[in-house]
Amino acid sequence: MQTRTPSTVIVVGSGIVGAATAYFLAKRGVAVQLLDATAPAAEATGAADGAVSVASKRPGPMMQAALAGVELYRNLAKAGLFADVFKSRSTFIVASSDEECSVLTSHADALAGAGVRVERLGAAMLRERFPALSSNAMMAVEVHDEGHAIGYQIVHRLLTASGTIVARRTPVEGLVRASGGSRVVAVATPQGNLQADAVVIAAGNGSGKLLGLEQILTPRKGQLLITERVPPLNAAMAGSIMSGRYLLSKGSQPAGNGKPARGLGLVIDPLSTGQFLIGGTREDHGDRQTNDIDAVSRILADAVALVPELAAVRLLRSFAGVRTAVTDGLPLVGRIPGLENAYVATGFEGDGICLGPITGKVMSELVCGESPCIDIAPFNPARFDGLGVAA
Amino acid sequence: MRDPDILVIGGGPAGMSAALEAARSGLAVELVEQRESLGGAIYRQPIEGVQVIPQSAGARGRWAALSQAFSKAAIPVRFGSVFLGVDGHGYVLVENRQNGLVECLSPRAVVLATGAVEHVHPRPGWQFAGVSTAGGLQVMMKETGTAPRGSVLLAGSGPLLIAVAAQMARLGNPPLAIVESGDPYRRIMPGLSMLGFPKLLAEALGYLKDIHLHRIPWLRGSRLVRIERQGERFSAVVRAGDGSQSTFVCDRIGLHDGIRPNDYGLPQASSEAAAGPVILRAGDCREALGAIAAEADGRRAGRLAIQGVAASAADDIGKIDRQRRAQALLARLFAPVDDRSALDELADDTLLCRCEGKTVGDLRNLCQRVDSLTGREVKHNGRFAMGACQGRFCAANTAALMARFKPEAPASSAADLTGRRWPVRPVSIGALVRAASRDNDTQ
Repeated sequence: MQTRTPSTVIVVGSGIVGAATAYFLAKRGVAVQLLDATAPAAEATGAADGAVSVASKRPGPMMQAALAGVELYRNLAKAGLFADVFKSRSTFIVASSDEECSVLTSHADALAGAGVRVERLGAAMLRERFPALSSNAMMAVEVHDEGHAIGYQIVHRLLTASGTIVARRTPVEGLVRASGGSRVVAVATPQGNLQADAVVIAAGNGSGKLLGLEQILTPRKGQLLITERVPPLNAAMAGSIMSGRYLLSKGSQPAGNGKPARGLGLVIDPLSTGQFLIGGTREDHGDRQTNDIDAVSRILADAVALVPELAAVRLLRSFAGVRTAVTDGLPLVGRIPGLENAYVATGFEGDGICLGPITGKVMSELVCGESPCIDIAPFNPARFDGLGVAA
Repeated sequence: MRDPDILVIGGGPAGMSAALEAARSGLAVELVEQRESLGGAIYRQPIEGVQVIPQSAGARGRWAALSQAFSKAAIPVRFGSVFLGVDGHGYVLVENRQNGLVECLSPRAVVLATGAVEHVHPRPGWQFAGVSTAGGLQVMMKETGTAPRGSVLLAGSGPLLIAVAAQMARLGNPPLAIVESGDPYRRIMPGLSMLGFPKLLAEALGYLKDIHLHRIPWLRGSRLVRIERQGERFSAVVRAGDGSQSTFVCDRIGLHDGIRPNDYGLPQASSEAAAGPVILRAGDCREALGAIAAEADGRRAGRLAIQGVAASAADDIGKIDRQRRAQALLARLFAPVDDRSALDELADDTLLCRCEGKTVGDLRNLCQRVDSLTGREVKHNGRFAMGACQGRFCAANTAALMARFKPEAPASSAADLTGRRWPVRPVSIGALVRAASRDNDTQ
């Protein structure tokens, strides 16, 4: 392990994780080269639902990481960096069936046990707090102190604040090692080899080919929807709504009949523009170019069932993104086995916006030889045997 | 539900001629039209009980022939229906505004003939209510048979301005003046070349005669540089070629700086049906060349739709080429006298995106960064092309300004800003919920 601060670091990938890593390294005075195969926030970060949330987490390392992630957003908002790009709000998990009520009740206990501030709202109370909600809603759990951030705005802010200039259209094709050694001296790009004292790979699904992780990383598509501005309805929503079914459906279900597996969850987030963001799907494939009416109409039917007034609102845009998922559901964060000065941070699936900034902080600590501020042992890439490096 | 073999989007000259041509094959053809009558913007039909305003003889003749042939062919038309896009599974999505349903159609080919939109350069004050496009005023006259009320100033560039002025005059309210940045009278070569297009020339001379008769000032080589509110009215500052400024007080302003394809958000043309229908474009939405070319281009697309493969149709291609030359000539004829673009001297507080309230200065700031942002980053971080109009007002201007502010950056197009996502028009969530998904009916 490295014990002193490197003077130059290459970060591969300018999504939220790479941009945050570059930001925290630059703050320490490290000269950072941030490379991207295309452009900042061009993949999952630019098409994310933006939840900065622990609401759907079960107790465990991901919940701990998410709690630290949310706290960092709050602190950076207070410090001014995220002042106008982090919206503080509650998440309301809404149950509309007996099955959902029982799952939600035990989920709320688990959240409370982990120190999360939650509040149970019975039907009458819920109606008062949330008049726009359908009478189908039987109960809800309000998870306090959560928030929303738009991935590409966070990236833009981090890059601007640290004065980081992204080398666009600069795909990294491999890591160049010192002869016979475990030390990376450069990354290979079509423009030639670029040298640095340390390398951080935060390239999402692009990390797979670079590090030989194709068996471990899988693309998982999500479709999202944006409405027009509806300030009165937006203002009447005390926070984002998550369907209790989301707790049941996290992780994709096989669809059968030869089609890729697809899960539907429902989140309705009132944005600070007065618009609503509505999502989404979890589909086990990597086509982010398209939205299909089947998914869109089903998501919207669920949304209208919970907030009937949405039926009269117009949909402005649909879009899709591809998350990077790890087969065991935990991200890869840490040093790459067999290499002394190369690190990876990817595989956050749907939690990249929440965990991006805290991961950037952790990576800056790792790269500079310090112990990380959160426990990342469960995310250690070494848990997978045969994690190799295409050099 | 039985799907048509060929679905045509848009009931203007391109869509109608595409449908006619395709129907000759005996295949089932249907046409989707968002309004309650055919004709498109160019042959917009008057609402019931209204006297038709006189159009040029050429236009009247073309419409008579096209509409008669179309009625004879008895092609089914879905009126009051709005094309939303082609989804990821290949379904063509159409919002039926008569019954509030989104219909999912599965034709073998779809011909997009969505026409043109007017191009309007941003100017200080262009966002005020009462400032519209000149073409918008023209469509209103075609529908209602009456001229816009009050004193009206027309400004911008191109032959449409004189057409609108002449039509206003015929309806009894000639505009105060036409402010034209070009000066066709000083462009001798392209002017002479127009002799090769006698129909267009005759139409233009007909309009000029009316303008002359009604003594409408045609201020060539002049620009409308600023619009200010003056009580209920506007004061419009016009700068002549010699730099002198004058002010017009008026009630309405019609702006026009040319036309461009209405291709916002449209799926890309494809000639191989991979996961959905063959997608073709026809008429002004493919290349904005006007009604004559649109009709020929519609026939070409109709034939392609039948074959599903590329084929040349020599007579139509010839007609389209000829109209392309005519439009190029008109562009030279109306080129700005001072050789500068209207985008060159915009003040930073000029509104660029009207939906999100973003200014020229906001864009300039983004472009002044050391690294060159892509069109998508400018959209995301500047909120250009993100509003309810889905980029129709600002995407082309934003892309053009980006190229001016940062010439060394890779050029972005309007489509880079808008993307190609459905719905291409905002659509009510209620209608989408009622969409009949068909993903399980074809197993």
